[in-house]
Amino acid sequence: MNASLLEEGVLESLPETLLPLRERLLANLVMLSQIPAPSGEEAERVRFLLDRFTEAHMSDAAADEAGNAVGRLPGTTGERTILLVSHLDTIVSALEPHEVRVEADRVIAPAVGDNALGAAIVSLVPAVLDHLGIRLQSDLFLVGSTRSLERGNHAGIRFFLDHLPQPVHAGICVEGIQLGRLNFFSIGTARADITCSVRDTSEASRSYGSENALVVLNHIINRILAISTPSRPYTLIRMGKLRAGVAYDVEPDQAELGLEIISHSDEMIERICGQIDDIVAEMSARHTVDAAFDVFFSTKAGGIPFSHPLVKCVLDVMARLGIEPDQGHSPSELSELIARDIPAVTLGMTRGKRGSKHEPDYVLIGPLLTGVAQLVGTILAIDSGVCDES
Amino acid sequence: MNPEAEPSVSTGSPAVDTSQWLASRTFHHSNFWDIKWLVEEKQRQGLTVSLCLPTLNEEATIGQEIVILKAELADRYPLLDEIAVVDSGSTDRTCEIAASFGADVYIASDHLVECGNYRGKGENLWKALYLLRGDIIVYVDSDIKNIHPRFVYGLVGPLIQNPDIQYVKAFYDRPMAYSGGLRPTGGGRVTEILIRPLFSLFYPELTAILQPLSGEYAGRRAILEQIPFPVGYGVETAMLIDIYQRLGLHALAQTDLNRRIHRNQETIALGRMAFGVLRTFVSRLRQDQKIVLQDALPSIMRQFEVADGRYRQIEHVIEEIERQPILEVPAYREKFHK
Repeated sequence: MNASLLEEGVLESLPETLLPLRERLLANLVMLSQIPAPSGEEAERVRFLLDRFTEAHMSDAAADEAGNAVGRLPGTTGERTILLVSHLDTIVSALEPHEVRVEADRVIAPAVGDNALGAAIVSLVPAVLDHLGIRLQSDLFLVGSTRSLERGNHAGIRFFLDHLPQPVHAGICVEGIQLGRLNFFSIGTARADITCSVRDTSEASRSYGSENALVVLNHIINRILAISTPSRPYTLIRMGKLRAGVAYDVEPDQAELGLEIISHSDEMIERICGQIDDIVAEMSARHTVDAAFDVFFSTKAGGIPFSHPLVKCVLDVMARLGIEPDQGHSPSELSELIARDIPAVTLGMTRGKRGSKHEPDYVLIGPLLTGVAQLVGTILAIDSGVCDES
Repeated sequence: MNPEAEPSVSTGSPAVDTSQWLASRTFHHSNFWDIKWLVEEKQRQGLTVSLCLPTLNEEATIGQEIVILKAELADRYPLLDEIAVVDSGSTDRTCEIAASFGADVYIASDHLVECGNYRGKGENLWKALYLLRGDIIVYVDSDIKNIHPRFVYGLVGPLIQNPDIQYVKAFYDRPMAYSGGLRPTGGGRVTEILIRPLFSLFYPELTAILQPLSGEYAGRRAILEQIPFPVGYGVETAMLIDIYQRLGLHALAQTDLNRRIHRNQETIALGRMAFGVLRTFVSRLRQDQKIVLQDALPSIMRQFEVADGRYRQIEHVIEEIERQPILEVPAYREKFHK
């Protein structure tokens, strides 16, 4: 049965075959989207996934010590182990309303594409396989990972990979958007905060005249902007967050900058981090403030080659389903798998849009089942062994 | 302060002890989490359950309501045999969205045309009795932003579990106790300012219904077909009083559904709602010969607004027309072989 699903014409019609599951997928998506899950507060989403796993008779489904939702579908031979992972946390504050709107063609909700949809699909995988009559040879691990984003630094998936007693042969990171997304290498990333605090007036050094924290941070920013970054290896310093001040007429005592450095070269990241560290230390002394550079998240550059059978298999599945591949790098959980020499890809499930200040996130319903079919096709290909490196 | 030492407050009317009813007829939705059991028991009893979602321009919320309730309570666990939207003539995409996710969509004015047509939620609920086929009808408002299957199984559960219960009303938030001891329970503004005082005066037992105006309830067809339906604001109040008058408090139950997020209405709109509810209430008082009025009640609600420093009176005609018990409609009797 499994092999026949990959036959000519069968895979192509899979989205239609999956149609009876569409409302269940959407229901999972809506319910997950309603649950706030900033990093470290994913427990309710974890419970949701575990309920789904338990209902699918995955008797050993449980949360691990890192709080990840983990379920296992034992294979007929257990010869290989396949990992499907979706991060459960979002960058949306729990204080924001998590309202969901389902229109005829799309679902609108905070962080719906990143990554409520990924989690919804992982939670539905047992039902999808059951619906299609698929019994895998490989053990399939379904993981909803915790503390992936921000300061979480992939803590959940790191723990899982470091403590799983059996080797993982291939991994698929499931992301909500965009359909066609195919990541098989990870760009090196370092994320850091620079904090700048004016010293307490009772401290002697204040008499030198500490400056407004925002002004000092501005000096630091200017110095960082002056760091030259090469185009090869591709390297970029991206400043993404700035926070300071409470009122127009109060000079801030605290200022904070969030930035990331990405590069195809880990050495380049290390060098730039060293430069920024020096800048911060110098400005701290020069302006008599307490400034600190804290790198809280880092991933190594790396990946599998384009010629890897897993990449070829995914491209074949995409072509047969009419999906236009969009290949690029990813700072997602993929980097943790790659760092452990596990062949892995990140796949997007549908089209949609990340929200902005003026427009909420949305995902399109129409391409959803094509995304799920792509996932099934990839799992089957891995299971059949055609993705193994010769 | 020890609440137990508090003397009961004298009402000046005969003592009404609702404690036994509260203990035996007040549920929490988690009492019915075992949906598989509910489905088995429903099938064993040979019951069918229909869900009615009355709508008027609810495109923002109808999609997620249908998706979740259909997926969880029809596809996964077949508790619901039918999901239908009964619409008052929406001008937005409500009907299109509802149909796209598999709900049956009825435009209220297209059905029972021989009975005429009125616009209002009560009209839709009344026509739903004709349009839907279930032995149990669940009514759920379609403006709920945090829809969850509990909104249905929490209401259907008591009816499947206990054949003596005929009608179940939703309330929200745990009412009786919390970690800090006792606290007052609260309905909405119209409930606390209008309905509870009126119930206290004329139907003291019904004060035990914590949120009499909540828009979610389930009932057996056998009783719903026997009662009249106001087409407008008064439908919830009338249902409660009429079922209570026919069957007594023990035919009623209520379930805590935890939390409901929905649009908040402005006070001025609640004023119109209160007017409609009051008219219905007074009509029940007259029927029950609890009061005598010399004249018919006026149907005009007057509100005021100020513009350019001048006050202007606005008159709202709120008639509160009532539909006869649907059992008296020939087409209904024919369809259901009554």
